[in-house]
Amino acid sequence: MNGPIRRLFYATVALFAALLGMLAYQQVVNASSLANNPYNTRKVYAQMSIDRGLILASDGTELAKNREENGLYYRVYPQGDLASPLLGYNDVKYGQTGLEHSENDYLTGTADEVELTNFFDMLSGKQQIGANIKLTLDPKVQRTALSDLQNLGKRGSVVALDVRTGAVLAMASTPTYDLNNLDADWNQLNQDPNGPLLNRATEGLYTPGSAFKLVTTAAALESGDFNPDSKFNDEKGTLNVNGNIIHNWRDQPFGEHTFAEAFAQSINTTFAQVGEKLGQDKLVEYQQKFGLYEKPPLELPPDEIAISGRYENGSLASPGAGLDPVQVAWMAIGQENLQVTPLQMAMIAQAIGNGGVMMKPYVVDSIMDRDSTVIKQTSPSGWKQPIRPDTAKTMTDLMVKVVNDGTGFGARSDKVQIAGKTGTAEVSGRGPNAWFVGFAPAQDPKVAVAVVVENADESGHDSSPIARDVLLAALGM
Amino acid sequence: MERRRELVSFLPVLLLTVVGFASVYAARSSQIGAGSLGYGLLFLGIFLVIHVILRLAAPHADPLLMPITGLLAALGIMMIYRIDPALAAAQATWLLVGVGLFAAIIFFLRDYRKLDDYIYVLGLAGVLLLAVTAVAGQDPNNSGVRLWLKIGGMSIQPGEFSKILITIFLAGYLHSKRELLSTTTWHLAGIPMPPVKHLGPLLTVWGMSFGMLLLMNDLGPSLLLFGIFLAMIYVATNRLSYPGIGLVLMSAAGLVAYFTKAVVHLRVDIWINPWTDIQSKGYQLAQSLFAIGDGGLFGTGLGKGYLLLANGRPVVPALHTDFIFSAIAEELGLVGASGLIILFLLLCHRGFKIAIHAEDGFSKLLAAGIAAGFGLQTFFILGGVMKLIPLTGITLPFVSYGGSSIVANFASLALLILISNRTNSARAGTGRSAARPLPAASSEGAA
Repeated sequence: MNGPIRRLFYATVALFAALLGMLAYQQVVNASSLANNPYNTRKVYAQMSIDRGLILASDGTELAKNREENGLYYRVYPQGDLASPLLGYNDVKYGQTGLEHSENDYLTGTADEVELTNFFDMLSGKQQIGANIKLTLDPKVQRTALSDLQNLGKRGSVVALDVRTGAVLAMASTPTYDLNNLDADWNQLNQDPNGPLLNRATEGLYTPGSAFKLVTTAAALESGDFNPDSKFNDEKGTLNVNGNIIHNWRDQPFGEHTFAEAFAQSINTTFAQVGEKLGQDKLVEYQQKFGLYEKPPLELPPDEIAISGRYENGSLASPGAGLDPVQVAWMAIGQENLQVTPLQMAMIAQAIGNGGVMMKPYVVDSIMDRDSTVIKQTSPSGWKQPIRPDTAKTMTDLMVKVVNDGTGFGARSDKVQIAGKTGTAEVSGRGPNAWFVGFAPAQDPKVAVAVVVENADESGHDSSPIARDVLLAALGM
Repeated sequence: MERRRELVSFLPVLLLTVVGFASVYAARSSQIGAGSLGYGLLFLGIFLVIHVILRLAAPHADPLLMPITGLLAALGIMMIYRIDPALAAAQATWLLVGVGLFAAIIFFLRDYRKLDDYIYVLGLAGVLLLAVTAVAGQDPNNSGVRLWLKIGGMSIQPGEFSKILITIFLAGYLHSKRELLSTTTWHLAGIPMPPVKHLGPLLTVWGMSFGMLLLMNDLGPSLLLFGIFLAMIYVATNRLSYPGIGLVLMSAAGLVAYFTKAVVHLRVDIWINPWTDIQSKGYQLAQSLFAIGDGGLFGTGLGKGYLLLANGRPVVPALHTDFIFSAIAEELGLVGASGLIILFLLLCHRGFKIAIHAEDGFSKLLAAGIAAGFGLQTFFILGGVMKLIPLTGITLPFVSYGGSSIVANFASLALLILISNRTNSARAGTGRSAARPLPAASSEGAA
């Protein structure tokens, strides 16, 4: 009987080898496919059983907190729609966006710095607890920005930065949505042609139009070929560049004028000539100095921050790509497929207001554990120096003139001197994009702002009052 | 000699047990009390008792059987403890009952070969147990399977015990009829075949298994019973034609069952594709696969896997019984779970080894039947939870939660211990150097 017993054992070995093979297949080969199966909720539940950190505004207002139910934590946003695309969502079904995504390691307590303090908690068997995040966002400024945009009832965005630090004080985008109703509204939000889920402040690419004359002016002043008193003559209100006609606003002729007047009245013909004279290389050099063609280093997920620059067929063009004189002239007045984000324009204003030093924009002020002990504090740091301090001073004067005697009169305030630049970028098929980019107080800049309103009133003055309100709110006036 | 090896082999087992319970405690101390060390002590105590019993009553018994099964039982109770400490306390009680029965068998059944005289009584008892379950069986947890019998306040699974009784019966019966059953009168495609009139036993067991399947609605026990029978008749006759014909009959029965029994149809459909109805019918297997996949190479660590929902219920239904391997694979990973599979293979190896060395046909058949039973049962349930074969509801020996299973498996283990003790005692008596030629080898070719 020993023969069959031995063979029976071999058969058993074969069966067990099959078990081992299948086990290895399921745990190694098939593991990632099992993990990514949409019905595999273990990751989600693991995530939901973490007491996620709070997100607080600069004054301690709770922007995101948790509701506990049966040991699972559900996210609650006490401020509703106040800063939805910035905060982003953390949803079992729809994943994560915004700061909920980019700061996830801190919020869940898995980041190295947090884990260190949690180690003893872990030994004593405490649940994993996330760290709190304090933002630089000022709820008053944010509320002003959002309600001004909402009252206008148009798509648009506002970004306000602290001029000295680069801290984000407000970041609004309309239309928006209430984070608490994400699940109920999901289909509608996704189908809405107005794109409420979009963070226009960082993802929205807009033609800057005349607002971009800030960059052209910086290049012009630093080239030494132009100063505010440089003389120009405009008799026709149009300019023929190699057979291509560049128009002033409503083809208005301005006659004899200075560079400063051209800036204040946003004279396209003059800036097209300036651009032609400076040439493509100089213009592009200053665009890059101001951070275009680069992703601004804000803490949001990289795929939610668009790069500003010249676009060709929907993708970012190489800055060095050769352009003909007509294209260069158009570029000088902020056309020629230039696409910028409101964040980028706010950063340009911030740099001019800050004596030519562009700060790294940031929105996370600090990471704190639950006892409010600061684990990590963001210290402001310079990112670029696009222009000299004296150029910044000269530009400030030019920008004051825009508000006091020029196109930016809508932003005028008797409480504080505001400096800025408007832009009315034509968009085919609908009303223009109206810009206001500036800062205040002009003599001692503290807050920079960029406002864009889509499908704006033909006069292009939708943005200036919003900019004024936001600046005043930020200055506590 | 054997007992010293046993004692030495048990040291790493005890160490693993203590470390295991300590890590479960460390990972889940907020949810569970500090009883883990108690279980380490319990295992130490149980093993010392068994060791002393064996020293007294079966000093030459195989030295590795107890360390292997001890480790399996420790791993099982550790996982059960991690899933639900209250169940672990019940399992520990059953473990003590099992050890009690084990000791009783070792002491009072030292001459287990006397069982050969009572095989018809034992066999009848085994069949009756099944018949009673089939008629009066209950389904307390609504699994659609009637495997339980309520006696007093307790639910027992008679199938676990009738498995042993029928194995003993088959050992005796096949031993006495082996020459008759080994005759071949005709050939099918070159394979020698027994005369049709001798197919009676095969057809009887087949009919019984099929009847069990139809009446109790479950694949596991009937498949296992039939599998053990095929293994034993093959060992007895050395005729591949028996398992061959048996597999054909089983396939036919399976085919009929697939088209007539909803539960069988369902199990096969889920096996082929658990994802189509993942929210209800395929849920258990899908969750089992998710758990196994989550384990990866090294596992999440004891106590750290996603085994329980927020309300404390297991993610995989029947996690502590049929699906305990999924929990082990998740928390101990490929490394730990393959270790478990290899441990079972070692157990089978010891069993078959004991069968080969046993001196009489009854002992050989009994040991081989028990070893084949452990092997098949392990294969059926592990293959089921990892989607190698359709799922059959059956416990993982020594590891799964369940009083009947634990107690019955300890009884089987006691029989293996007794057989090995007898063989090794005889050898020790005749001198270790002069290993006698195995008597079975000479009588094998009887045609």
